[in-house]
Amino acid sequence: MVELRNVSKTYPNGTVALRDINLKLDKGEFVFLVGPSGSGKSTLVKLLLKEEEATEGEVYVNGYDVTSMTRQEIPYLRRSLGVVFQDFRLLPNKTVYENVAFAMIITEALPKEIRRQVPMALALVGLSRKANMYPHQLSGGEQQRVALARALVNNPALLIADEPTGNLDPETSWEIMKLLSEINHRGTTVIVATHEKSIVDAMKKRVVAINKGVIVRDQEKGLYRDEDKNTPVFY
Amino acid sequence: MKIRTLRYFIKEGFVNSYRNKLMSLASVLIVVASLIVFGVFVLISLNAQHNIRIWKEQPQLQAFCYQELDDIQVRRVEEIIKADERVLSYEKVTREQALEKMRERLGKDAAILDGYGADIFPVSFIIRLKDVSYSGEVVKDLEKVTGIEKVTYSQDTVELITRMSQWFSLGCSVMIVIFLVASVFIIANTIKLTVFARRKEISIMKYIGATDWFIRWPFVVEGVIISITGAILAFIISACGYKAVVDKFSQDAFFAQTSLLSMLSIESIWSKLAVYYAAIAVVVGAAGSFVSMRRYLKV
Ligand SMILES: Nc1ncnc2c1ncn2[C@@H]1O[C@H](COP(=O)(O)OP(=O)(O)OP(=O)(O)O)[C@@H](O)[C@H]1O
Ligand SMILES: [Mg+2]
Repeated sequence: MVELRNVSKTYPNGTVALRDINLKLDKGEFVFLVGPSGSGKSTLVKLLLKEEEATEGEVYVNGYDVTSMTRQEIPYLRRSLGVVFQDFRLLPNKTVYENVAFAMIITEALPKEIRRQVPMALALVGLSRKANMYPHQLSGGEQQRVALARALVNNPALLIADEPTGNLDPETSWEIMKLLSEINHRGTTVIVATHEKSIVDAMKKRVVAINKGVIVRDQEKGLYRDEDKNTPVFY
Repeated sequence: MKIRTLRYFIKEGFVNSYRNKLMSLASVLIVVASLIVFGVFVLISLNAQHNIRIWKEQPQLQAFCYQELDDIQVRRVEEIIKADERVLSYEKVTREQALEKMRERLGKDAAILDGYGADIFPVSFIIRLKDVSYSGEVVKDLEKVTGIEKVTYSQDTVELITRMSQWFSLGCSVMIVIFLVASVFIIANTIKLTVFARRKEISIMKYIGATDWFIRWPFVVEGVIISITGAILAFIISACGYKAVVDKFSQDAFFAQTSLLSMLSIESIWSKLAVYYAAIAVVVGAAGSFVSMRRYLKV
């Protein structure tokens, strides 16, 4: 599904953001990507979207050889996955429905398909009743759910979320994370870069920890911090 | 490209130009100005060509006698012209007719002729030849006839007009090129502003997998909308303007009498003008979009 082989990324200004990363994700997995600020989480996400190019190594996503891909092929890679960001990135002058439908319009989907898929995606994120509202009329959590619906409307096999709850209060963050987990249960592979310690600890998913551009831990049913495991447990 | 996608591009193109009203309007006006300059050039050249063609078809000479010739001498000259078998027909212009023509030509200023008699004008003959190819030799022969001072040769006029229209074309071409380049750049600049206003939207489109061309087409459409609007306005203005000139021209007594010049009717040239305008509009609009694309929309 996703594979990085000996991937390094040095930005043109000399910043080494990732160093010799090896990572493999199987279909249907749910992975938290954790690490301190500036550790390279967003850089890794950008490599998967080919927003940035790996300086060394190979990147494979959804069967695409991202490293050797030409510019013209990038849109098709991006259509094969859904992306969600901290700042939602909705179109302000389009309604909720139009925002979600837009992801299908750009793929030149049939209008019939759009009319079928968009309500389904909105129902999945629980926003059917707000379809005709504009983003500024929604709360942050609702806006992020619109972004999620947009990411899912083309039925991608992989969903990538970079700090999807970064701008949300704890309760709303939980709702979004539960939604991501539900989407994962339906078969979509999910990668979430996050700082949400309590949620990561509670959800018991695979955790990949990065520090200074290096993977320092890759653990099934992991916790946000390794040392938490060693803290005494009182019964 | 699918029809619905095309519809989407066209709709977005309109949305773009509407959001950027003021700049769009400015660009439209520049396009109108350039096309009108172009239109004036086209109309004048078409008419020049038309008149040159007419003059070439009717070789017409005018032989002027010396002013001091008396009636008997004039009659002798007339006999010679009449006897020439290359002459199809001729027409005598008396001193009085010449004076009358001059009065007409001077119009309001005719008063300066007051106090002069018709005798200051020479008698002349307007001669039509049986064939154009004779004109050269006939002019030479007539110039040798005693009593004839000079022969004006309609070929001279043709050459003069041809030469003038060449210079005119050159001048106009330079202006047209300047105007069209200006149009291309102002359209490009307008689109730049739209691209800037929509940069967030463009980056979102890229994230969700829009192809470069999917992002670009609405901006190309925007450029074409601007230039087509300009072309339509320019067409209306120049067609109305031309019609007014033609009407005025046909009422002008001097031109009506002499049939020296004739103008093409608007009916006979509007379609040509429309085709030129449309073609230029599409090219200029698309060029403007592409310039802006290359410079500001490196997606
Ligand atoms: N475009 C860029 N040019 C140069 N350096 C960059 C660029 N983007 C990121 N970096 C640097 O690369 C390193 C990794 O940044 P990255 O954004 O991947 O961190 P992160 O783990 O996402 O951090 P955060 O948790 O704060 O979002 C940082 O040192 C950052 O300053
Ligand atoms: Mg980040």
